[in-house]
Amino acid sequence: MELSCLQENLSKGLSIVGRAVPSRTTMPILRNVLLATDHGQLKLAATNLELGIVHWVGARVETDGAVTIPARNFIDLVNSLPAEQIALVVDEESQTLRLTCGSVKASFRGIDAEEFPVIPEPQDGAEMAVEAGDLRQALSQVTFAASGDESHKVLTGVLAEFEGQTLTLASADGFRLSVREIPLLHPIPQPLSVIIPARAMAELARIIGTQEEPVEISTTQPHNQVLFKLQDTVLNTQLIDGKYPDYRRIIPQEHTITVVVGRAELLQACKRAEIFARDATNIVKLAIGDGELTVEADSAEMGRGSTRLEANVEGPELEIAFNVRFLIDVLSAINTPQVVLELTTPTNPGVIKGVGDESFLHVVMPMHLGR
Amino acid sequence: MTIRLLPEDVAARIAAGEVVERPASVVKELVENSLDAGATRLEIETRTGGQSLIRVRDNGQGIPQAEVTLAFRRHATSKLETAQDLERIRTLGFRGEALASIASVSRVTCTTRYTEESVGTRLRLEGGKVVSRQSLGWPQGTELRIEDLFYNVPARRKFLRAARTERKHIDAFITRYAIAYPQIAFSVMHDGRQMLLTAGRGDVREALLAVYGTDLGNSLLEIPAVFAEPELPIQVRGYVGPTTVHRANRGYITLFVNGRWIQDLRLTYAVIQAYHTLLPVKRYPVAFVIITLPPEEVDVNVHPAKTEVRFHNGDDVFRAVQRAVRGTVIAEAPAAATWQAPPPTAQQVVHQRLAALRPASPQAPLPEIAPADRPRPSQPHTAPAFEAAPPSESVPPQARARRLPPLRVVGQVSTMFIVAEGPDGLYLIDQHAAHERILYEQMVSAWRQGDIPSQALLEPVVVTLPADDAARLEPLLPALQTLGMLVEPFGGASFLVRSLPAHWRDADPQMLLADLAANTETQAPSPVRLELEEMIVRRICKRLAVKGGQVLSREEMDRLVRDLEQTENPRTCPHGRPTIIQISLEQLAHQFGR
Repeated sequence: MELSCLQENLSKGLSIVGRAVPSRTTMPILRNVLLATDHGQLKLAATNLELGIVHWVGARVETDGAVTIPARNFIDLVNSLPAEQIALVVDEESQTLRLTCGSVKASFRGIDAEEFPVIPEPQDGAEMAVEAGDLRQALSQVTFAASGDESHKVLTGVLAEFEGQTLTLASADGFRLSVREIPLLHPIPQPLSVIIPARAMAELARIIGTQEEPVEISTTQPHNQVLFKLQDTVLNTQLIDGKYPDYRRIIPQEHTITVVVGRAELLQACKRAEIFARDATNIVKLAIGDGELTVEADSAEMGRGSTRLEANVEGPELEIAFNVRFLIDVLSAINTPQVVLELTTPTNPGVIKGVGDESFLHVVMPMHLGR
Repeated sequence: MTIRLLPEDVAARIAAGEVVERPASVVKELVENSLDAGATRLEIETRTGGQSLIRVRDNGQGIPQAEVTLAFRRHATSKLETAQDLERIRTLGFRGEALASIASVSRVTCTTRYTEESVGTRLRLEGGKVVSRQSLGWPQGTELRIEDLFYNVPARRKFLRAARTERKHIDAFITRYAIAYPQIAFSVMHDGRQMLLTAGRGDVREALLAVYGTDLGNSLLEIPAVFAEPELPIQVRGYVGPTTVHRANRGYITLFVNGRWIQDLRLTYAVIQAYHTLLPVKRYPVAFVIITLPPEEVDVNVHPAKTEVRFHNGDDVFRAVQRAVRGTVIAEAPAAATWQAPPPTAQQVVHQRLAALRPASPQAPLPEIAPADRPRPSQPHTAPAFEAAPPSESVPPQARARRLPPLRVVGQVSTMFIVAEGPDGLYLIDQHAAHERILYEQMVSAWRQGDIPSQALLEPVVVTLPADDAARLEPLLPALQTLGMLVEPFGGASFLVRSLPAHWRDADPQMLLADLAANTETQAPSPVRLELEEMIVRRICKRLAVKGGQVLSREEMDRLVRDLEQTENPRTCPHGRPTIIQISLEQLAHQFGR
């Protein structure tokens, strides 16, 4: 293998695939990143067997070939190089990669590319596609609500339901539920529903970045994996086996109180309240009165703080308590100027939506102060 | 059978059965008489465990010649005049029964000289009847020789144990009084051998050393005087063992009320409760607790032997004892044996020297020194100043932070222990025990303040348990609700969990309930109402705490150590095992031969 590419491109590519390199593993090969020539490009790949990322970098390929190189060291070196041409030559005999960049010369002992796990690649003519912007926003609104508790595997994932013209993403951790719908670019004939690890979704959101092109989604049913094809990158992840709870039952069908309030103001009030609610429980009280909403936190040790917000309130007065972290999470993810809270009693779940945005909804369970 | 009045000697012997149970009770009555007589020196001598001889000699005020005979009549006493006096008894004795009872079951020689008379009296009695009386020269005070105890009560004699056992009972009694009355010189001889000798200089520590030996005596912590409530002064003093000292039974818990040794299950429990979570399971503390309260607040006229008392405000006394003991124990803690308080200021040093010079009066040694400038003892085993409030009260954060020095995490050993560095050496922290302590205190303190926030579940979780577990869980449901966990029966052996305590919202409900239901019956019922919730909290904390074998990140370790520094009792887990071990720099240097 012999090729040259720009340091900038290689560095960016490595930072994308490097996220899939496991920090702890018993398989030495997984600590390596795969470098291979592919249709006149340099293909970079890394995997931890659950999550795999492949990225293509523009390159001038002289001769084809492949090798795997210890990822950490290679990434560190490439990042330290000047923004110039990098020449990479692999000595197939010794599996050694020699790198030249300006006055810098380096060589790495590699492992045979044959030993690297096969990372599935999407077939041509992907089944499903969504707008990158939609997906990016949907991920930011849904992923945070997934559970971190490994003992309930399905809840650590994001449910993705493809049906007709719509992809519905949902996640829940036992106390809150986020649901977001985004349009599919082409209708699909067969409904499909998979559970994707939230960690992989967070990675996907990061890689999508500012990309504009549609994201193609496909599954490899026999392998039980899902693939997201971006412009120069493919992310694939194992799916979580199991049955996701029927979240639709949890969404309250009616409410007696509607509060419309500025999103940024409410978020700011919650962050202020968090200062006082920062003990283990993060409890804040929302007092809903005539035309106003007061966000209040009280700490036995520190003191108390409250913010009164003007709000458009319909319905009776109410005091209800929530975990302020949950409120901050969801308010940060909504991007309409105003939000609406739909409430019933201090013990019934609350619903939070963006005003004028029917595609997203969040359900959060209240807290109770004992005695 | 006709009914008739019993002859006096028979009645006396029956009454004697209540007061004089064994030689130790004779010693008790005689020693209490001597103390009431204002003695400062007491000699006690026994032979064959008190069966053949008990001799008690004091330098008290003695008995006037004219009253000696009367002293041996039943219901004759100098300590009480009217029935009102019973309401505020200041003397140890008052019933006027002891001497008469003892005399009726033994041969007694009483030799005495009243302080204001120049001639003494010797009176001999057998079976309660005077057999001889003579006048003689005698130093001030009284000597009673009790010979052939129970010679006329074969039934009782048969039940006496071996001389060694009876000696043990006598010693158990006298040693306690020797500590409670450090201003009195006690000398105890058994069969010609000196068993105990206290100096009577008023130094309690000295008496402790004489009784318990150097190691135990030195390790005991002094309870500084505290008052439970200003309008009801209950003073609790004494000495308690640190958490590193424990015994297999409650026998080392001694209670004195108004100078009287009493046995009271509830107060004993208060002491044990004060060590709650600080001692290993099924181990009991060493404690010597002296309670002083106005005589009218306590009724000692409950039992002829007067080892039982009734308090008018039992709960106040219970709380006062528990607070004082716990405060003392917590202010010091096991690993603190090597963690020195900051060096005393110059003023404190002066106080300390003054205190050393001043012969401490045991009656009121502490209240006269204001808490703020009380000398800080330099020896690590003595209790630091008692600024630390009792546990149920809110402790100022500064006082709490004092408990552990600031630690820097060095790393983790064998995925079980955290290695940390402090200003004075190396600290090893058991990650599981430490986390248990943190969770436990967070929860219990929230629960004590009465506001455990609970987090409702998006969807109730159904938990099904084995039938017998379910039956055990059912009675716990109300307690669980006060802890913020709303659980409802859901038919059969199933339960519906609707909310979790906010502190534990990451817990798995199925697992929690299964843990709680498992073998709750092995928990002994306790007189304290709060116990059930604490037990639940303890169990849940055990389950939720990080386990040994769990790899912790640097941040997690830092957090754990910071949180541990914030706890009130950082040095033991809720089950009483240590959380932290310290190796001082000196120890390290010594090991390396530097």
